[in-house]
Amino acid sequence: MGDPDDIVYPPLSFEPPKAQRVALENGIILYLLEDHVLPLVTLSAVVRAGSFYDPAGKEGLAELTGTVMRTGGTRSMTGDHVDETLDYIAADLTVSVGTESCTLSLSVLEENLEKGLEIFSEILMNPVFAEEKVALAKSLEMEALRRIRDNPQQAAFREFRRLVYRGDPRGRLSTIESIEKVGRDDMLRFHRRFFHPSNTMIAVSGDIQSRELVVKIRSFLGGWGGPGKAQEAPPPPTPAEASLDYFYKDTPQSVILMGYHAPGKKNPDFYPFEVLDFIIGSGGFRSRVFGEVRNRLGLAYSAGSFYSFRTSYGIFGTYAMVNAPSTLEALSAVAGILDEIKSTGVKPEELAWAKESIINNFIFSFATPDRIVTEQVMLEYGGLPDNFLTTYKNNIEKVNLADIRDVASRYLSEENRVVLVLGDRKRFDTSLSTFGDFHVTEKDGR
Amino acid sequence: MTPATHARGTSLKVLLFAGIVALLFSCAIARPCDAYDLADKVTEFTLENGLKVLIVERHTGPTVALYISHPTGAIDDKAGCTGTAHFLEHLRFKGTETIGTRNFGEEKQILRKIYETGDALDRELIKGDEADKEKIRELRKHLETLQAEAEKWSIPGEIDRLYTEHGGGALNAFTGQDITTYHVSLPSNKVELWARIESDRLANPVFREFYTERNVIIEERRQRVASDPGGKLREQFLAAAFTAHPYRRPILGWPSDMRYLDFDCMSHFFTTHYTPDNTIITVVGDISPEGAMEIIRRYFGPLPRRPAPLRRVTEEPPQTGERRVTVTFDAAPRLIIGYHKPTLPSFDDCVFDVIDTILSEGRTSRLFKVLVKEKGIAADVRTANGYPGARYPNLFVIFAQPVSPHTTAELENTIYEELDRLKREPVEAKELEKAKNQLKADLLRGMSTNSGLAGMLSYYETVAGDWRYISKFLDLLEKVTPQDVMKAAQKYLTRDNRTVATLVKDE
Repeated sequence: MGDPDDIVYPPLSFEPPKAQRVALENGIILYLLEDHVLPLVTLSAVVRAGSFYDPAGKEGLAELTGTVMRTGGTRSMTGDHVDETLDYIAADLTVSVGTESCTLSLSVLEENLEKGLEIFSEILMNPVFAEEKVALAKSLEMEALRRIRDNPQQAAFREFRRLVYRGDPRGRLSTIESIEKVGRDDMLRFHRRFFHPSNTMIAVSGDIQSRELVVKIRSFLGGWGGPGKAQEAPPPPTPAEASLDYFYKDTPQSVILMGYHAPGKKNPDFYPFEVLDFIIGSGGFRSRVFGEVRNRLGLAYSAGSFYSFRTSYGIFGTYAMVNAPSTLEALSAVAGILDEIKSTGVKPEELAWAKESIINNFIFSFATPDRIVTEQVMLEYGGLPDNFLTTYKNNIEKVNLADIRDVASRYLSEENRVVLVLGDRKRFDTSLSTFGDFHVTEKDGR
Repeated sequence: MTPATHARGTSLKVLLFAGIVALLFSCAIARPCDAYDLADKVTEFTLENGLKVLIVERHTGPTVALYISHPTGAIDDKAGCTGTAHFLEHLRFKGTETIGTRNFGEEKQILRKIYETGDALDRELIKGDEADKEKIRELRKHLETLQAEAEKWSIPGEIDRLYTEHGGGALNAFTGQDITTYHVSLPSNKVELWARIESDRLANPVFREFYTERNVIIEERRQRVASDPGGKLREQFLAAAFTAHPYRRPILGWPSDMRYLDFDCMSHFFTTHYTPDNTIITVVGDISPEGAMEIIRRYFGPLPRRPAPLRRVTEEPPQTGERRVTVTFDAAPRLIIGYHKPTLPSFDDCVFDVIDTILSEGRTSRLFKVLVKEKGIAADVRTANGYPGARYPNLFVIFAQPVSPHTTAELENTIYEELDRLKREPVEAKELEKAKNQLKADLLRGMSTNSGLAGMLSYYETVAGDWRYISKFLDLLEKVTPQDVMKAAQKYLTRDNRTVATLVKDE
């Protein structure tokens, strides 16, 4: 067989279908894309609200508001009636709440679109937050909090969030006490404050006739009114100093997380940083953390990096789940990889591989109609330019070795690095203090 | 729900469509009624060596999903070698004689020495306290030297590099009890790259980084079982529910077996089970069937035909009394209840898909409604039909977690009351219709992506022996009556046929 690198491929010609944008009179922005392969319709409404806006002492309010919007009934239907109707027509309706956005999603068979759309609109505009459903949601949320410690990865990522966003509302997380304090009135207020047409964008794709659908949406949501638009949340402050935290858990495997603040999507550093993250740990077997910690040293099954970004800021981190007696070995291996990249940059062939991979994979942003419309909505939601997607490949192509070194040295600074180690230090290979002074977040048990 | 473990992934993904079946596929602006006929959408052919190919042309985007499944998995692990099928899946990402090497002639010599030295080391280590410590130290050192030498000839991660560089996504594999699948999505003009890599690793795989990868799977077990209350409880549950059938063994293997998995074990498993007539290829996406077929013939056609293995699988004897297991763990309590039942394509299996839906799909399902909404005693309740595999008689399973301070005992009682209701009263027509609607809609949603459809076709061709089971399922589903549900519940959901596992907090 020939060298796989020598295969010649036919050209890929592809013109991505364009979503249609419609602005309703009351401020709702709609993006639509028809796709008639299956008799299904998907709708998502994105609203600028989220846990960022939780009042101090009532952390968890946004999350609970989302849950009870779905379960607590509307002006025209009880929650149980909503459940019955949706289940009977096999529709999926979920409300998910993030830090800076809430998303209401509906997946429905085309034949039931009218009914689905009616409930979707009622939940968006007129939820009533029935007391018994508020109590149920609170009880379930408290149980979820009690269970967080059971799963080492979940516990570690949650704690990491608190640390990486310290001094910012994003780092204030719900507790049993804060959930206890949230009441129905808080939810009504929260809903009134954020759920307005001018604060809402909707993506629709699937088996629709665009013109008819706009008419339908107008009939359900056209009468919805309300003031103004929420301001975009300000970016979080970079941690003023480095930290190393130890979180006790009686487990044979340690979770090691290392995090830094990183550029947002609007920042020109975004492109080199995306390439950098790919090379460090999100590019699979060839990326450095995966290649070294898993493939060469055999210390972990899960090891790599992540880069999550919004318009104005991002968070970068590395992760490794390792046998407790290899904790310090793995921790210094990861730190060593980052140090090396900061001091000597990356190799030209690594850069070429990462850029080509990212560029060739970009086509998957257009793999399904749902992804195309959602991308469009998120671009406008994030205040990014219309041509973001068309210039994206070119911007990645332009990244050079100096750019990578530059972003690595500016963003991956030890001075504001956040490190979290979850595990049982009695089983570690050496003391965590060999890596640095550490703070005990959760004390050793028993 | 089929437990499956992945070579590359970091998330705890689970293959979800076991037991939930049927396929409505539509063209143009078709309505579901004329969309049931899949026959003219799937191009199907078998190569002379026995390899089976399914192709669906679909132009939703410029991409293609490529699946290869083999009807093999943990059930084929030999006694004392549990974890073989899964470890092999990992090793198959290590390259071939022409992918991942600078000079295979040279590299081969060192790899042979590595296997020999590793083997000698294992022979010493397995002696436990009787082992010669000095000999172990020397062999370890020697192995490290050889591994360093091998690194000079090998190019790590080449398969992964080739796929990612060409824009590949969703590159992964999973090993189940009785199915193993390798999949990737690519820009649709790159089918030949996939054919080049996959045919090569079916013909000439090279097990590089053998002993470091063995540590990786041990670490995988530590992550999925030893540190995870759910994983730990599922493992103990299965070991109790099955006494003789291989479904009782964990896919990842038992730790004491995993530590000594050797080259011969891997190589024998590969030669026996990865034969062309044990291989099913599924291609779904923006391609022409003729073009894809030409490439597949060219690359996979030359694989020599090898006789299919004779599979001897111990049958599970009928259960004759309730079994209970307890696991103590540093975590909040949880519960698993399972009942033996037949598998597809039996009518009763289809009835259990309906029962599964009635009990736990959606907020109005019976168990969710009673345990979570009305009594508020459960944080979560789910059911699964077809656990932990689907080619042999399997289990209908209920997973539940109490809200503190309620106990698993309270959950158990309420669950049994609900199961008794199924046995006592016929379900109402409307509730049955709701369940059927949900099953059909789930199916449709599963098909909305190329990889979803490819996964489904690949799964049923492998597990049921024919992807057409999907339409057969729809026929079966239409026939299910309230009486059938009641009869199946009476027959299988009995005390003597159940296994109950509870996780108790370590105080």
